[in-house]
Amino acid sequence: MEQEKTEVLKGTLDMLILKVVAFGPIHGYAISQRIQQISGDFFQVPEGSLYPALHRLEDRGWLQAKWEETETGREAKVYALTRKGRKHLKAEIDNWERLSEAVALILRTAG
Amino acid sequence: MTGALRRLFYRRHAEMDLDAELRFHLEQSVQDFVASGLSPAEARRRASISFGGLEQVKEECRQAGFEHYIQDFLRDFQFAFRSLSKDRRFALVAVFSLALGIGATTVMFSVLYNVVVDPFPYRDFQHSVVLDLHDLAAPPHDIARYHYTIPEFLAIRDQNHVFEDIVGAYQLDVLYRDEKATRRFQGAYVTANGFSFLGVPPLLGRYFAPDDGKPGAPFVFMMNYQLWRTEFNGNPKILGKTFFLNGKPRTLIGIMPQRFNGYGSNLWIPLDLRPGADGTVFPVKDPDVIWACARLKKGVGLQAAAADVDGILHRMAQANPGELYPPQFRIVVRTLLDFVVGDFSRVLYILLAAVSMLLLIACGNVANLLLARATVREREIAVRASLGAGRGRLMRQLLVESLMLAAAACFAGCFLAYFGLKALVAIIPRGPTADLFHGRIPEETVIGLNPAVLLFALAIAALTTVVCGLAPALHAVRGKLPLRMFGSGKVTGSGFPHGKLRNGLVIAEVALSIVLLTGTGLLMRSFFALTHSEVGFNPAHMLYAWVSTEHSPYETAVKKKLFYEQIVQRVKGLPGVINATISLSTPPLGGAGSEITISGKPPHQHWTSMVDLCSEAYFQTLGVRLLRGRLLSEADIDSTRQVAVINQAFARAYFGSENALGKKVKFNVFDELPDTPHGAYFEVVGVVSDFKNRGLLEPSAPEAFLPHSITGFGDRSILAATSVDPRSLLGGVEREIWSVDPNVAVTHSGSIQDFLSEVAYTKAQFGVIVTSAFAGIGLALALVGIFSVTAYTVALRTHEIGVRVALGAQHSKVIAMVVWQGLRLISVGILIGVLVSLGLTRFLVSQISGVSATDPLTFGAVAILFLAVGLVACFVPARRAAHFDPVVALRYE
Repeated sequence: MEQEKTEVLKGTLDMLILKVVAFGPIHGYAISQRIQQISGDFFQVPEGSLYPALHRLEDRGWLQAKWEETETGREAKVYALTRKGRKHLKAEIDNWERLSEAVALILRTAG
Repeated sequence: MTGALRRLFYRRHAEMDLDAELRFHLEQSVQDFVASGLSPAEARRRASISFGGLEQVKEECRQAGFEHYIQDFLRDFQFAFRSLSKDRRFALVAVFSLALGIGATTVMFSVLYNVVVDPFPYRDFQHSVVLDLHDLAAPPHDIARYHYTIPEFLAIRDQNHVFEDIVGAYQLDVLYRDEKATRRFQGAYVTANGFSFLGVPPLLGRYFAPDDGKPGAPFVFMMNYQLWRTEFNGNPKILGKTFFLNGKPRTLIGIMPQRFNGYGSNLWIPLDLRPGADGTVFPVKDPDVIWACARLKKGVGLQAAAADVDGILHRMAQANPGELYPPQFRIVVRTLLDFVVGDFSRVLYILLAAVSMLLLIACGNVANLLLARATVREREIAVRASLGAGRGRLMRQLLVESLMLAAAACFAGCFLAYFGLKALVAIIPRGPTADLFHGRIPEETVIGLNPAVLLFALAIAALTTVVCGLAPALHAVRGKLPLRMFGSGKVTGSGFPHGKLRNGLVIAEVALSIVLLTGTGLLMRSFFALTHSEVGFNPAHMLYAWVSTEHSPYETAVKKKLFYEQIVQRVKGLPGVINATISLSTPPLGGAGSEITISGKPPHQHWTSMVDLCSEAYFQTLGVRLLRGRLLSEADIDSTRQVAVINQAFARAYFGSENALGKKVKFNVFDELPDTPHGAYFEVVGVVSDFKNRGLLEPSAPEAFLPHSITGFGDRSILAATSVDPRSLLGGVEREIWSVDPNVAVTHSGSIQDFLSEVAYTKAQFGVIVTSAFAGIGLALALVGIFSVTAYTVALRTHEIGVRVALGAQHSKVIAMVVWQGLRLISVGILIGVLVSLGLTRFLVSQISGVSATDPLTFGAVAILFLAVGLVACFVPARRAAHFDPVVALRYE
């Protein structure tokens, strides 16, 4: 099961991160916490995947990072969605919805 | 993208950034664990476990952008540079090996490129063709003629459907008379379109216009750069001046640039195709007149063009059958390039093949050295793998190392190529376009390093990187890398698979080297046969001078005889001259060919002989032995007796066991010549020993020697046996000749040795020198390969050898063991090399003569030579192994 979860996560991590960041600027640790909470502990994002993904998304120009002070008064690297990132997220979500609908359709009818 | 660039240039900043970000994450995580009730220590432990390898995460983050590629690359280069400079001896050997390979390949490619792709300065020369007439009864490579009569040329020009334009040229010596003497230049009569055809603008003045050469047009001519510089000091004022050429005033209208040698001449005169026009009498029926060069129309192939011209000439042959046409013939159309370079391009391709083998040997060598290094570095590689370096990353690191080697070698190779080319250009056989001695490099061809060649060198360097770096790199990163960390890095167990590849490489190097050596050996033997074939006299002490009386009034046989005898007398009087004679021929080429009729025997169509016209001193000068009868006497010559001395080949061919003396022979060629006794039979008075008369390698053909006084036709030459270098006498000979008559010209002169190297040696010599150089380098590289592999094996087995010595193994046993191992590789290599050579040397057949392509002596000598030097290459490291101190060897690790 762990293995399968990781597989699912791999394909969708970029989209989940973008979605979480879309709520507002947020730092890496909070992103992993948020994904874990919202998914009802289904996804645990390993740091080894999260940070490379964040850097990749930043490199593509979908995320923008800057250092900001957190509530606890510490400096943290905070990511925000760019315009390009928002467009990309929308496209990703559309794609995903079409895909899951199609899969669901097959599962319903073929059964 | 911009982020990546920023990170690339502010790397330190980026690193700190990444570090702070991850640290923040870790600390938040610890805080959360503490908040959930764990002790700080336990919280930190849990957080670390959940985080995983901090360095690995960092590395993956670094690789998110493209900048890491460049960073890694730079780091790879730094690292490669550091590790190579730690092992300088290795780096030097590797770079030097590769540089030799790259340099030699670049040189050969450069020659081939310049000769085959870009030899001429002419416009559209790829579509320029020449026409050969082949006798179908003759061997396929014999060309009956490539000159045509004026009517033939006109017919081809007017009736063809395949040529855009066609030029006719007629080479004729031009005698130029000034106050001092008459000098002879190579001249050509060229149809007026000849220069627009080649499309090279003149350096000064203009070239021929369509009206030049037409009846009534002023007499003009053009000059080449060389003549202008040497005879007229490059003075531009001579343009428009009038010169007396062949006794006729002509105005100089243009001078061609240095890189132009069309129609192989110093002077060009417009050709009027009306027979006898322009005061120059062309022998209309003589086929040896017009050389035609045409440009194919767009889309017309060589065969289509040949078929078209073939039809025209067959119609002409039907209309006037006769000697001009063999009973069955066909026309072959060749490119101008093929006509000029011809067979020589095959020499170049063979050399390119040879040099590719050399490059492969060099690559094998470097691959071997890299493999050895990779084995030694096994532990280092394993450590780096366990610290997170991926397989691809490690391979890239190793490839960068070989790339660095190749880059350095490419640089050094281009340097070597620069000098190599200079040396090569100095010995390359060159000849003018459309010359008698074709099959060499056109004089206009500029051979040098150019962008195409340098690009080639770069490509070769890239290729060598892959060829010699890939296998070692793949080998180094195969298997479960981290496990190998526990090995010593030098244990024989893990070294063995490498050992097999290394041994294979050595075998391949040896085999390639053997192929190169046998090829070279065959060329050398052939060249030796050529230069040491017995000509019967010492060619270095034999002078020849061709004397042309073309524009002097010696119309009768008597006048001509007196003139030449006067010259010979004067030449004989020169200090350093032992003897001198009149002759028609220049040995080892015999006199004119003629069909013969023997009195009392039915006429036979294929009975032929060479005819030489001599004075009585001929036999003595050339050192020819009398076998039977007598030699020509002064009286024979003075009273023009119809007598002949024949050679052994003549006697054998036509008289067999009969006594040749007293037999009468008619030489049919005399029936057609003016001022010659027609229908005369010559009585055989003597038989002399054979000497070469068909070049250096062919056996002697039948030849007859007649008194030169019997005909007033044609020019003679002077041969003189000397006691000093004939070249030092040439000036004196010319002075003597001009003191008799300043109107005659010496058209060719020198020592027979020079004549031989001009007509026979140059091309063969070029091949021998170049392949010898390649084979020598190949041998040296292969030996370095054998040496390094043996030395390396010894180093790997230090421990084992130490044990053996400690247990009482004798020095000789240890030496034998190591040498035997090397010898096995060498023997296998030699065997494979010999087998491959047996298959390949047949491609050399066209280049060698006097020796078989599978000459056992050459093959044997090469194998033994290699075995001997290979033994030495094994013995040196073996001796070192035998003298290991066992105590040191056992501690060695």
